[in-house]
Amino acid sequence: MDEINNLFQGFAVALTLPNIGFMFIGIFLGVLIGVLPGLGGANGVAILLPLTFGMSPTSAIIMLSCIYWGALFGGAITSILFNIPGEPWSVATTFDGYPMAQKGKAAKALTAAFTSSFVGAFVAVLMVTFLAPVVAKFALNFGPPEFFAVQLLTFASFIGMSKEPPVKTLMAMMLGFALAAVGLDSVTGTLRMTYGQESLLKGFDFLIAVIGLFGIGEILLTMEEGLAFKGHKGRISLKDVLDTWKELPKHWATSLRACLIGCWMGVTPGGATPASFMSYGTAKRISKHPEEFGKGAIEGVIAPETAAHAAGTSALLPMLTLGIPGSPTAAVLLGVVDMGTATGPLVVH
Amino acid sequence: MKTGEHLQMRWMELLVAACFVGVSLLVITDSLRVGNAWGSDGPEPGYFPFFIGCLLLGGASWVIVQTLLAWKQDDGKEVFAEKHEFNLMLLMLLPTAAFTAAIFVLGIYVASVVFIAAFMVWQGKYSYFKSIAVGSGISAALFVLFEVWFMLPLPKGFIHTWLGY
Repeated sequence: MDEINNLFQGFAVALTLPNIGFMFIGIFLGVLIGVLPGLGGANGVAILLPLTFGMSPTSAIIMLSCIYWGALFGGAITSILFNIPGEPWSVATTFDGYPMAQKGKAAKALTAAFTSSFVGAFVAVLMVTFLAPVVAKFALNFGPPEFFAVQLLTFASFIGMSKEPPVKTLMAMMLGFALAAVGLDSVTGTLRMTYGQESLLKGFDFLIAVIGLFGIGEILLTMEEGLAFKGHKGRISLKDVLDTWKELPKHWATSLRACLIGCWMGVTPGGATPASFMSYGTAKRISKHPEEFGKGAIEGVIAPETAAHAAGTSALLPMLTLGIPGSPTAAVLLGVVDMGTATGPLVVH
Repeated sequence: MKTGEHLQMRWMELLVAACFVGVSLLVITDSLRVGNAWGSDGPEPGYFPFFIGCLLLGGASWVIVQTLLAWKQDDGKEVFAEKHEFNLMLLMLLPTAAFTAAIFVLGIYVASVVFIAAFMVWQGKYSYFKSIAVGSGISAALFVLFEVWFMLPLPKGFIHTWLGY
């Protein structure tokens, strides 16, 4: 019962007038970021961070989460209308979303996408609410060896799950470790790797690294690919929405499977992208008419969208309880939370 | 496609790996300077960075060896980027680099006016008046936001010192 009380207390805080305002601004900016190719959720959150400097930590988290969700959904819009996935996790949505738009069913695909996102995120929120205290209680028993083990497992899974050659993943990780080691050694108080530069005393700022790696890199990549748009009309009427909603309950099994896959992939540091692909793959394998996938099957939109949002949301669980981000965006959010409040088991407890 | 019209992946692999070797050497040298042993009271400051540096060096060397072993076989076929794509990217990268350098001289606000206005005239083909107006407007808004509202001092260069702010 405690959990339900806490959930409603959370809603009460979130539903005050200024916070609702921040939500709208956040979602608007998020969708904008998601629609613009190249600006992903992680970059968006990083770039828009300065907006939150003057806010209370709660409002800042609310607004950043909304930017994150908006970006998750904005990626789906371009996937369906332009066949350009704005985000890596909406690549799977293009497989069936774009064919639907070509057949003139763009409104149906968009409705299916935003409804599935809601279902996925909502299930994940419930999961986080009820599971977080359990995970946190467990995590409070953690000592240094256990935390080392969890971190090692995380880094090992980065290598295991990456599509790139393991050596390169390892090199990238070590570069990150090396950057983090610059500055004052917290154990002995010795300066290391500053090479006489006073500005390096405190090491490299996390935000600067994030904006440089994600933001500027992506902008340059977008320039390189050239910006060309050719899209389908996406006018949505209320009738389309209602018609699609009538059809959606038929696909509850696909939804449920997608939620499970999403939550699992979010909690383990898999993230939204593998979750959406796994969910699409599973939906296709289990479906009674797999030959329709890729030609505009509505399940092909529901499965990846639900899973991506469930994963994106449940990625916050390991972040808040163990202090381990489940996705790049969660990593950026973690940086924000670290500035305002403490993370780790004590937050939830 | 003739060779020379694209940048070859194998050269980029070597270039990036060479940069990693450079970084790893920086890390290892300084770790040796501050001590990389396990002292009487625990690890010395260079203990962990030393191993990080070694892993970096090992990884980079591995990539270099792999690239060189596949050198003949690859024959420059794998494309990193087409020439025109790379040029498009440079159009963005070089002005941004110049902008960053200009921040130290002109300060971030004046540099932003120049950067935004120049980009609008050059890439967007807007009129001079409109470009300068938008550039100044954005800079002024940022100035009010950061300096007055949030009171975050951003780099101002010597022009601002000269103007007395």
